[in-house]
Amino acid sequence: MSELAIETEGLTKVFTSRWTNRELRAVDDVSLRVPRGSTYGLLGPNGAGKTTFVKVLLSCALPTAGSAKVFGRDTREPEARRSIGYLPENHRFPTYMTGWSMLDFYGALSGMDSASRRRRIPELLAQIGLEERAHHLRLGKYSKGMLQRVGLAQALMHAPQLLVLDEPSDGVDPVGRKQIRDVLTALEEKGVTIFINSHLLQEVELFCRDVAIIQKGKVALAGSVQELTMGSGYSVEAPRVPENLRTELTGRARHFTGTGDTLRLTFETREQANQAVDLLRANHCEIESFARTRSTLEEVFIKTVEASKAPESQA
Amino acid sequence: MNATLALIRDTFREAFARRIFWGFFGCCTALLLLLMFLSRLEVNVGGDATPVLGGASPDQAASVLQTQSIIAMVLYYAGTALAVFASAGLVNAMFEPGRIELLLSKPLSRAHLLLGRYLGNVLVVTANIVYLVFGSWLIFGLKTGVWGTGFLLSSFFTILNFSVLLTVIVLVGVLWDSSAVAIMVTFAIMIITPILAQISTIERLLNSESSREVLRVLYYTLPKTSDLSVMIRHMILNQPIESWMPVWSTALFGAAVLAIGVWRFNRRTF
Repeated sequence: MSELAIETEGLTKVFTSRWTNRELRAVDDVSLRVPRGSTYGLLGPNGAGKTTFVKVLLSCALPTAGSAKVFGRDTREPEARRSIGYLPENHRFPTYMTGWSMLDFYGALSGMDSASRRRRIPELLAQIGLEERAHHLRLGKYSKGMLQRVGLAQALMHAPQLLVLDEPSDGVDPVGRKQIRDVLTALEEKGVTIFINSHLLQEVELFCRDVAIIQKGKVALAGSVQELTMGSGYSVEAPRVPENLRTELTGRARHFTGTGDTLRLTFETREQANQAVDLLRANHCEIESFARTRSTLEEVFIKTVEASKAPESQA
Repeated sequence: MNATLALIRDTFREAFARRIFWGFFGCCTALLLLLMFLSRLEVNVGGDATPVLGGASPDQAASVLQTQSIIAMVLYYAGTALAVFASAGLVNAMFEPGRIELLLSKPLSRAHLLLGRYLGNVLVVTANIVYLVFGSWLIFGLKTGVWGTGFLLSSFFTILNFSVLLTVIVLVGVLWDSSAVAIMVTFAIMIITPILAQISTIERLLNSESSREVLRVLYYTLPKTSDLSVMIRHMILNQPIESWMPVWSTALFGAAVLAIGVWRFNRRTF
């Protein structure tokens, strides 16, 4: 089996209007490699092409060009989809089913025999905290959060090696989110690849190791969360800095803030930051912290999206 | 096999939940009750049955079969019409956004998904048609002592006719996601085919050979809803069936339309 859970090569999906013949490139030449066992987040503003990418990946939409493979197999082959568990964004589970019968139905479609389904369903229901209601309560009576949780259980029914989740914690309360995150963390530890399509950046930052930001159908930025949020400078924090030294250091720093009696300085290079530390120590000042500056994923996201908009506005 | 059974069971479950099954069942039961209480069928033991329907009182056993053939015809058209109304929504429900994506993500071919749903739908209707025809046959038999098998066999033609019309519903659903359009197209076929069945009369009325050719193409291509009803009548009256062409050409039409539906479903983006 391939070491790549997901591999797309020049994946393109173009929608053409029947009447005006106008083309919309929803996914434009996307080549993405998601290693097996990783936790990968796909980010992008609304209409960027994230959901279309997922649909092409799952063969719900046929690509105009390029290919999509899961564990080395073309996803247009039904057998390739056996290793995928999927939770769609705006899912519409049959409201006439109970949680139990829904899991049983989708489990059967995933190729599970009835004995395995009977064994697996109570396990999953306990994991998502719905074991009591799932027997008799129809899905039409479920809250949004309960539907998300039972939807996640549906995706996990056949113990897939790749989990594709479209906005998994959408509409879920903080406790439910924590529950979902715990389930996903346990799966990650078991080596399941988790691919999350979300606009909840904090969620992605908290859970995913790698991300790709997609904008206008193209991958605008991809890499590990750690690398992408790594800032270019170094920060030094020191309390009770004498006024004359404060003036000198703020003159050298790229950026500074003073909260209470603590001075926070940001320098361009490590050398500059070290010189500042030397100076502070020479003046008997204590060092509160010394660290490489970091950005939040949200900052990286906004910067990337703005940057890809810039050439358009200049034009 | 597991997946096919699951798809069939899901269609039944949805038919129950949407009251489609029970609505159909209720209509069938109403027809049976009508047959049971509104008809007065007197019996002379020994097969010499004397049915009395609506006040008329023929005195030969053959008239029982005659009555049966009329009832069978009514059940054939009424059963098919009810089934078409009941099924249009069931097919399209599968294509709802948020539902179809999840089905397509499963390790099943698209053909398997569509045919599973189709088969489930046919079985939902078959259950009701068998109930209706068997119930009517039982009522007739108990009241008249005439137990002709032709009436029972008529259910086969009703189910065949519906199965073929359902392929049209499936194709329209795959193309346009519209139950209303599916019903309209299916009823248009049901209305046109009795007219086309008068092919020999119409041919004489047409002046140009090309018009006659178009008529022949339409007649031989479209399902023979009307011809099948005539076959039912012949079977019940123990008359010989001259040609089985209406059966196989109707089945062929259904197979072709279903194949186009599957092909289109395979290429569709959701």
